[in-house]
Amino acid sequence: MKRIGSILKLIALYFKVNLSSAMEYRGSFLLQAFGMALSNGSFVFFWWIAFQQIGGRIGGYDFKDVMFIWAVASSAFGASNILFANMNNITRLIISGELDTFLLQPKDVLINLLCAKTTLSAWGDLAYGFILMALTQGSADGSAWAMFLVGMVIGGLLMTAVSVMAHTFTFYFGDASLIGGMALELTINFCIYPEGIYRGFVRLLMVTLIPATFIVHVPLRLARTFHPLLLAILLGVSLLYCCLAYWFFYRGLKKYESGNLIITRM
Amino acid sequence: MRALRKYGTVLRLSLQNAFVYRSNVIGGFLFYTVFIFVFFNLWRAIYREGQVAGYSLTQMVWYLCMTELIMFGCKSNIYGQMNEEVKSGSIAYQLNKPYHYVVYQFFNAAGGMLFNLIIYGILAIILGMIMVGPIPGFRLANLPFALISALLGMVINFFFLMTLGLTSFRLEENFAFFLIYQKLVFMLGMFIPVEFLPGWLQGITRCLPFPYVTWAPARLIVAFSWEFFREVLPVQFLWALVSVLSALGMYRYGVAGIQAHGG
Repeated sequence: MKRIGSILKLIALYFKVNLSSAMEYRGSFLLQAFGMALSNGSFVFFWWIAFQQIGGRIGGYDFKDVMFIWAVASSAFGASNILFANMNNITRLIISGELDTFLLQPKDVLINLLCAKTTLSAWGDLAYGFILMALTQGSADGSAWAMFLVGMVIGGLLMTAVSVMAHTFTFYFGDASLIGGMALELTINFCIYPEGIYRGFVRLLMVTLIPATFIVHVPLRLARTFHPLLLAILLGVSLLYCCLAYWFFYRGLKKYESGNLIITRM
Repeated sequence: MRALRKYGTVLRLSLQNAFVYRSNVIGGFLFYTVFIFVFFNLWRAIYREGQVAGYSLTQMVWYLCMTELIMFGCKSNIYGQMNEEVKSGSIAYQLNKPYHYVVYQFFNAAGGMLFNLIIYGILAIILGMIMVGPIPGFRLANLPFALISALLGMVINFFFLMTLGLTSFRLEENFAFFLIYQKLVFMLGMFIPVEFLPGWLQGITRCLPFPYVTWAPARLIVAFSWEFFREVLPVQFLWALVSVLSALGMYRYGVAGIQAHGG
């Protein structure tokens, strides 16, 4: 319990430092966030056209459902890139030997490493989810909002876990940046389209290696018809996946060889 | 003639470089395949509900293969490079070289773009054939005309991106403009053919440069007609000219404000 408290304290401290550093360049920060939100907004247009052409459901989802999964995916991606933006750089840090710095510090290596960087434009992704929810689900739908928040937290952690898991292959086989990039790309792609458009092997992939089903599709089902057992499964699977990624990283870390690189973190 | 030979050499060298570093495309191949696979599934689900704006599913999948091909072919990082060179000041080292900076950048990127067009073209054909089979009514004799249109689309995209990159001479942050431009190209022609848009929006869209990057050439490939070719080619030429002039204008405007110090 004490360990979890210390981890949460570290995340909160990094968040504070990263945010105040972003605020030093307020104009750039706001422009990047605004640009990202606007860029995401263009996909509403795509779906509006698609549903207008069909006038029914696509892959079992209606327009409101698609906007819900988009909102969760966008905010989850935003949250993970605000808090754990270094998840995209794990391969580079391992290969360049910059990991040494994190090994020397008296904090959890993985959490310390993940939190050390933030992405400014991710604030736009985070805000976009909330705006989309307000515009398409309305403020009265309490269960949709509750599941949106649950999906955002779980989704953020799962996206980070997917990235950590994929980049960890660098410890075993060398440069895994391509696997890391692909894993996150697939996760996002499986999150922003209706589940029903995929079949067979891809559906299996979505509940195992690339857990997109648990990031957006299960929260959607819970928002429409709440079922306590399904919520318990969602929480259990997500916890298991995150623990697995954590364990896999530390197992790989044992294979790490220092390059004796001297760097300064300011 | 000597000037042309000079840029011809730049083009040849950049093409050679693209072939030497061909392993870089493995990642691109995977991403291209994922995009096409996701959109194939999406459009298959949409077409289960009915026909869409005169395109069959086969034509739609080939259309997406072609629009993605042009976008991957256009991949040159010119926007990022312009930003980097202007902000870091390294552009100053190129100003006294015996070439025009804007023209040099185009030919330097053209080799990579041609290489991308060839190898992603092969991948696009393979994926299209596997997913939906041949394009109905396709005639090989029409392909060169569609290719002219594709090359013009790439020129339009390249010079508009370069213009956006060069705005960093005067703007501290221009990433938002890049995102907006990118999404306009995506939404007005790349993901959705212009025919799918509501009538009022089609009229506006046809007056903008964005659909002429991917929509015009992709439609010429999946449903070639001389009438459409005669309609879009002059417009593409016009937008290509506008994009080149805007890049040259932005470069001139930016360079006028440069202050170089020795040391």
